[in-house]
Amino acid sequence: MELFKIENLTFKYPLCTSPAVNDVSLSIDKGEFAVVCGATGSGKSTLLRLLKKEIAPIGDSSGSILYNGIPLPELDDTSSACDIGFVMQDPQQQIVTDKVWHELAFGLENIGLSQNEIAIRVAETASYFGIENWYDKNTDELSGGQKQLLNLASVMTMNPTVLILDEPTSQLDPIAASDFINTVKKLNLDFSLTVIIVEHRLEEIIPVCDRMIVLQDGRITHNGSPAEITRKLLPQDRIIPAMPSSVRLYHLLSASGKCPLTVREGRQFITENYGNSINSLKEIPYRPDKSAALEFNDVYFRYERESPDSLKEVNLTVYRNEIFCILGGNGSGKTTTLCAAAGILKPYCGYIKVFGKKLKEYKNQSLYKECLAMLPQDVTTVFMKNTVREELGDNMPDLPFDISHLYGKHPYDLSGGEQQLTALAKVLSAKPKLLLADEPTKGLDADKKAMIINIFRRLKQNGVTVVIVTHDVEFAASCADRCALFFRGQAVSVDTPEIFFSENRFYTTAASRMSRGYYKNAVTVEQVAEICRLNSEADVNADNQE
Amino acid sequence: MQSFENRNPITVAVYFLAVAGISMFCMNPFILSLSLIGAAAFFVQRNKTKHVKSHFYFFLLFIVLSAINPLFYHNGVTVLFVVNNSPVTLEALIYGIAAAAMILSAVYWFRSFSQIMTSDKLLYILGKFWPKLSLVLSMALRYVPLFSRQAKKINAAQTALGLYKDDNIADRIKGSAGVFSVLITWAVEKGIITADSMTARGYGTHKRTHFALFGFKPKDILLLLITALLSSAVILSLSVNALDISYYPKTELGEFTAATYVGIICYGILALLPVIINITETVKWNCLKSKI
Repeated sequence: MELFKIENLTFKYPLCTSPAVNDVSLSIDKGEFAVVCGATGSGKSTLLRLLKKEIAPIGDSSGSILYNGIPLPELDDTSSACDIGFVMQDPQQQIVTDKVWHELAFGLENIGLSQNEIAIRVAETASYFGIENWYDKNTDELSGGQKQLLNLASVMTMNPTVLILDEPTSQLDPIAASDFINTVKKLNLDFSLTVIIVEHRLEEIIPVCDRMIVLQDGRITHNGSPAEITRKLLPQDRIIPAMPSSVRLYHLLSASGKCPLTVREGRQFITENYGNSINSLKEIPYRPDKSAALEFNDVYFRYERESPDSLKEVNLTVYRNEIFCILGGNGSGKTTTLCAAAGILKPYCGYIKVFGKKLKEYKNQSLYKECLAMLPQDVTTVFMKNTVREELGDNMPDLPFDISHLYGKHPYDLSGGEQQLTALAKVLSAKPKLLLADEPTKGLDADKKAMIINIFRRLKQNGVTVVIVTHDVEFAASCADRCALFFRGQAVSVDTPEIFFSENRFYTTAASRMSRGYYKNAVTVEQVAEICRLNSEADVNADNQE
Repeated sequence: MQSFENRNPITVAVYFLAVAGISMFCMNPFILSLSLIGAAAFFVQRNKTKHVKSHFYFFLLFIVLSAINPLFYHNGVTVLFVVNNSPVTLEALIYGIAAAAMILSAVYWFRSFSQIMTSDKLLYILGKFWPKLSLVLSMALRYVPLFSRQAKKINAAQTALGLYKDDNIADRIKGSAGVFSVLITWAVEKGIITADSMTARGYGTHKRTHFALFGFKPKDILLLLITALLSSAVILSLSVNALDISYYPKTELGEFTAATYVGIICYGILALLPVIINITETVKWNCLKSKI
């Protein structure tokens, strides 16, 4: 039984030449878990928003959308509000009220339920989602993951039959993101709730979904079960870099047969198809220039006099001209470390040296003049002007990337990835020798992520030292020279990514988990694929000799 | 155990209004001292040894307030002593003490009031009478911390980008103005998401109802009735001038009639009501706890 039936849907934003959604025909069955994926600008979000008439974008549309057999525009307001639940990207801005309990009740108040009915539904929902413990809290005291869970719960109080989620985990850290996905999957299994979700991070969602819909330039290029589609994808498809590591490995090796979707299947795939007579790549020893760009010496910091230490005895040295990644869980002191290095937070004990000079000795804001610059996590905080052009000023340095097509736009009108690049351009216009970047890949699709990696590598070639705080282990593994793990305000281990990720058992990349024990020091999909290739060549040679 | 402060907010608010209101419009020394005793006892009962220092400061304030009146106001027949050719009279001193007691009791009632009536309780009361405004205030309360955090973030980001060219004040003000203006842009931009989230959840489709964590229980209604009864008895006795007192030229209490006794006793019960309720609830709780 189909819930949504979309026929020949075309949608064009005003003043745009090409349609954002182009001749899409699609039907979603009741109880289905459907993932819509595609690069930024492929029309995913637009398509999703068209399914909810209250927030549908304004523009020319043709074709039809039937919900339960009723054309969407004719659906009455109450059913539309209640039946079709919508969760958006930004966890913080979706919250309307100041208290958790009030937020849960907000939708129910809107549809005019009585106090008693609301009390029952809110209580039920709060206990299902485990919100009891923070039921009385203010909404701004919650963590990002809790906020997004609250948004989901307050949509679920309305008793929807379909849940539409627009990149709900892009602003969350990996642990909160996987909790969130698991909750959504649980809802899907427990209540046969139909789920339509747009995601960039496909690693965890592909194994649990029933259906994948791949969009490119507003058109559906693939539509079917994940097992089928992952096998059918072509190596040149733009969606490949966004796929789970096992799928990428499969396509890098141009393998045939069943495509592995999870780490477990990926491991099986390697051990069944490839030998391990060659079990590691030739190691290239890392020999950094031993002079320090950034030094932390017994640094202690706390936010308030009575609060616990956020940084405890941090000792850290970042060498000149390296890409240094700081990893760690939430609240482990990563961002605090970065802010301390940028001179925004002042440690109460210990000292920080930038290029051999203590922070205190940089007088008159000289630290920020062609020396150090920081790209904050929330890049909208970087923008102060009305256009990108004004934002960047006149003395633009040679950027390793081109954003001239964005010059006329307002920074707030750009997509997440474009904002990131513009912010980075503005930060680089200060010509820093030491660049600090806080979560530069947050919310970016695979394309933009690859672009950011390239930019950092180019910067390194130009002699810039880059310190990155990130949650993204795959990103760190492919671009860092050295990685550090923070735990409870301390740097517990520092090493090159190959050693760092092969020694970590939990905090490591999917590729490392797939090849662990079978191959040595292979932490990225490319490295694993390379070893696999060498092994199959060796096998062929051995066969020929016989 | 349901202590006084956890009763329905409307009941609690009405109580505070009655007890503080009466003591503010009546100069009878008995009423004033009962009000001061009740207010201070309730505050101490709730806060135990916290805010001990503040009691000391309020006592100093009491002395200063009592002394101000006789120093500037020289009416009265009983001269105590003469300062700078102006007499300090006993009547002015008594009046000063009474006025200080009135101010101090009001201060203590309001300290308890502000501790008990948190934003969600005030919003609940407002929502009963004016649901739309209550929602707007709830959203505003959510935006205040959001704004200040974003302002800090923007400031930090811009500092690291070299917004401030120098370490001087003029530069700092110019920079802050820039941060403020971009904060407004941010708020407007991000407000669109909140608006979408509201309409997506059916805002504006129906007449809104109002959900609250508080309900009216028999206990609350009883407390409301008792408050109403006691305060109307006091007001009645005030209206027949049974609680009158004249301070000048000679301090004289009016004649003690039945109405005077009724007024004073009723106000006494009213002022001590929270303390009495909390003590009985504690006793009940200890009794119940012993059975666990």
